[in-house]
Amino acid sequence: MALKRTIAKLNDYQDRLKDKKAKQIKVKHVDKIISKLEAKKADLDKEFHEATKPSRKERLKRKRKVLRDQIEQAEFLRKEILKSQK
Amino acid sequence: MLKRLLLPVILTMLILGFVNSQDFQEIAAGVAIFLFGMLMLEDGFKLFSGGLLERVLERTTDSLAKSIGFGIVSTTIMQSSSLVSVITISFLSASLITLVAGVGIIFGANIGTTTGAWLVAGFGLKVKISAYALPMLAVSIVLVFQRSKYMRGAGFVLAGLGFLFLGIHHMKEGFEAFKDQFDLTRFAMTGVLGLLVYTFIGAAATVVMQSSHATMVLIITALAAGQVSYENAIALAIGANIGTTVTAIIGALTSNFQGKRLALAHLIFNVVTAGVALIFINQIVWAVDWVSATVGIGDDDYALKLAVFHTIFNVLGVAIMVPLMGRLIGFLERTIAEPEPDVSKPLYLSQAADEFPATMELAMRKEVKHLQDNAIELIAHGLNLHRHEIYASDDIAATVAASTEPLELDIDEVYEARVKTLYSAIVEFATRAGTRNLPKEVVERIYSLWDSANRTVRAVKAVKHMRRNATVYTSRPQGEATDLYNGLRTEIARILVEIHDLDESDTEIRSSLWLDEERVQIERDRRNTTRMIERLIRDQAIGATTATSFLNDSGYAYEAMSDLIEAARVYYIETEGAMAEVERILTLGEDDVEEMSAGAQ
Repeated sequence: MALKRTIAKLNDYQDRLKDKKAKQIKVKHVDKIISKLEAKKADLDKEFHEATKPSRKERLKRKRKVLRDQIEQAEFLRKEILKSQK
Repeated sequence: MLKRLLLPVILTMLILGFVNSQDFQEIAAGVAIFLFGMLMLEDGFKLFSGGLLERVLERTTDSLAKSIGFGIVSTTIMQSSSLVSVITISFLSASLITLVAGVGIIFGANIGTTTGAWLVAGFGLKVKISAYALPMLAVSIVLVFQRSKYMRGAGFVLAGLGFLFLGIHHMKEGFEAFKDQFDLTRFAMTGVLGLLVYTFIGAAATVVMQSSHATMVLIITALAAGQVSYENAIALAIGANIGTTVTAIIGALTSNFQGKRLALAHLIFNVVTAGVALIFINQIVWAVDWVSATVGIGDDDYALKLAVFHTIFNVLGVAIMVPLMGRLIGFLERTIAEPEPDVSKPLYLSQAADEFPATMELAMRKEVKHLQDNAIELIAHGLNLHRHEIYASDDIAATVAASTEPLELDIDEVYEARVKTLYSAIVEFATRAGTRNLPKEVVERIYSLWDSANRTVRAVKAVKHMRRNATVYTSRPQGEATDLYNGLRTEIARILVEIHDLDESDTEIRSSLWLDEERVQIERDRRNTTRMIERLIRDQAIGATTATSFLNDSGYAYEAMSDLIEAARVYYIETEGAMAEVERILTLGEDDVEEMSAGAQ
C-alpha cells in the first residue's frame, strides 16, 4: 500500500513538473536523502545493539523497521527517476 | 520639540523663497524631483529583493575586502548609500552578515556614493540631461504597469533615474537664472571659519533632505553656476558626509544592538574622516589639483575637481579606518553591549527585519525556534522534568519515574509571559508579511513557520491541561495510576529528546523524514494505551474516576506529542528545490502512519 501511495505522489510530482510548478528531481537529490536516512539507520542500529532493556530493544526494532521501509521507498524512487532520465 | 519645529520652519522658508524668487522655485522643485527619483529608485530595487539582492549579499561579504567591494558596487548601481545602509542594518539585525562585513559595506558605500558626483559633474552638467530624462520617464510608465514584479521594478528604476536627471536639470537651470539676479558668492567665507560654517550648512542640508547625494548634486550645480566658491563647496561636501549618518541613525533606531553598532560605526567613520579632511585640507586640495592635472581635468573645471575631492576624501577615510578595524569593532562591542536576552520578548522580529523578504523569513524562522525553545522548556517543567536530565538519560523511563518532585511553577503565568507573547508577535509579523508584496514562495514559507508555531502553542496548552493530574499521580506512588501517568510523561519526554537530537544533528545529514518513525510510534502508543486502559477497567485495577481522568489526559498527551512532532517536521522540512520534492514524496501520509502503526503492535 505504501508503495502505491508513493507512486501516486510521484505521479502528482510529474504532473506538477509538466506544469513547471515543481523543481526537477535528479538522482543525486534522492541519493542525498538516502544518505540522510542511512545515517539515522546507523544511529538506530548502534542504539539497538547497545540497548539491554527488552522494551527498549522492541521499540528500537520497530523504529528500524519504519526506517527500512522508508529507505526502500527512496530506492524505488531513485530507480524511477533514473528511468525517467534515460 | 526640535522635530516639531523643523517642519513649520522648512515650510516657511520655502514659502518665503517662492514669493521672493521664481528661480528659487525651480531649484527647490529640482531638489524635490531629484529626491522623488531616489525614492522611486529605492522602491524599484526593493522589488528586485527577495532573491537576487540577498543571495549576492550573503555570498559577497565573507571578507572585509569583499564587503567593501560590495558596498562600492551596490551603491554605485543603486545611487543611494542610504538604501545600502538600510539593507545592511536589516541584514545585520537578522544575523545574515557579521558586524565586520556590515562595517565594510558601509565603508564601501561611502566610496560608491562618490560616483554620483562624477555622474553629475562629468555628465549631467556637460550634456542636456533633460533630453534623456523625458523618454526615460515615458518608457518607465509603460513598464510600471506590467504584471511582472521585475518589469515593474525595472520601470521604477528607470523612472527613478529619469526623475534624478530631471531634478538635476531643474537645479542647473535654477542656479543659472538665479546668478543673474542674486549673487550668493557674497556670502562666501574664507579661512577656518568658512570651512566650519559651510561644513555645518552641508550637514544640515543633508539632514533635511535625508540624502548626501542630493546635497552633492546641489553643491555641484551651484558650483558650476558660480554660486558658491570652490573652497566653500569642499566644506559643504565634508558636511554632507557627516549629515548622511543621520539616515543610518534613524534606520538603526528600530533595529537591534547590531544595527545600532553599525550606525555608530558610520558616524565614527564620517566624523573621523571629516576631522582629518578639515585638518589636512590644504594637502588634500593639493592632491586634488595633482590628480586633476594628471587625468586632464581643466584647472577651472571646479565641478569635476569637487568630484575628485569627494572621491579622495572618502577613499582617505577608508584607508584610515581599515587598519583600525579591529579596534573599531572592539569599541563598538564595548560601547553598545549585547543585551541579556529577555526570553519573554520577541528577539528577532524587529522592524529592521521587516524591510526585505530574506530577512523577514530568517527573522520568522529564528523567532519560531525561540518560541519552540521556550515551549519545550515549559512542557518539560509542566511535567516536572528537567531537559538536561532527559537529554542525557540512557533510560528515559527510569529518569522520568525518578522525577517525582513537583516543580514550583505557575504554568499559566509562564505560558502568558514566554509563549503567548511570542506567538502573538509571530502572528502579527506573519500577517504583515502576507500583506506585503513578497514573492509567493516566501509568503508560503512564512505561513508554514506560523503553522509550526501554532502547533507548538497547542502542545503547550495540552500539557497545561494535564499538568495537575500528572503531578498528583506521579509525585507519590499510587499503583497503576502512577505507572500510567509516568508512561505518558515518558512518551512526551521521548518526543522532546527526538526533537533535541534532530536540532543538534549536523544540518548536512539531518532530515525531517527522521521524525516519521516517531509519528508511527505515537499512533501505536495511542492504540496500546486505549487497549491497556480498557483492560485495567475490566480487571478493576483502577477506579472509574481515575480511568476517566487518565483517558482525558492521554488525549491531551497524544495531542501534544503529535503537535510537537508536526511542528518540528514543518520547521525542519526542506523548503526549496528538488530536495523538498523528494521529501514530499517520501514523507509518510496519515494513511501510511495508520497502516504501519496497526501492522506492528
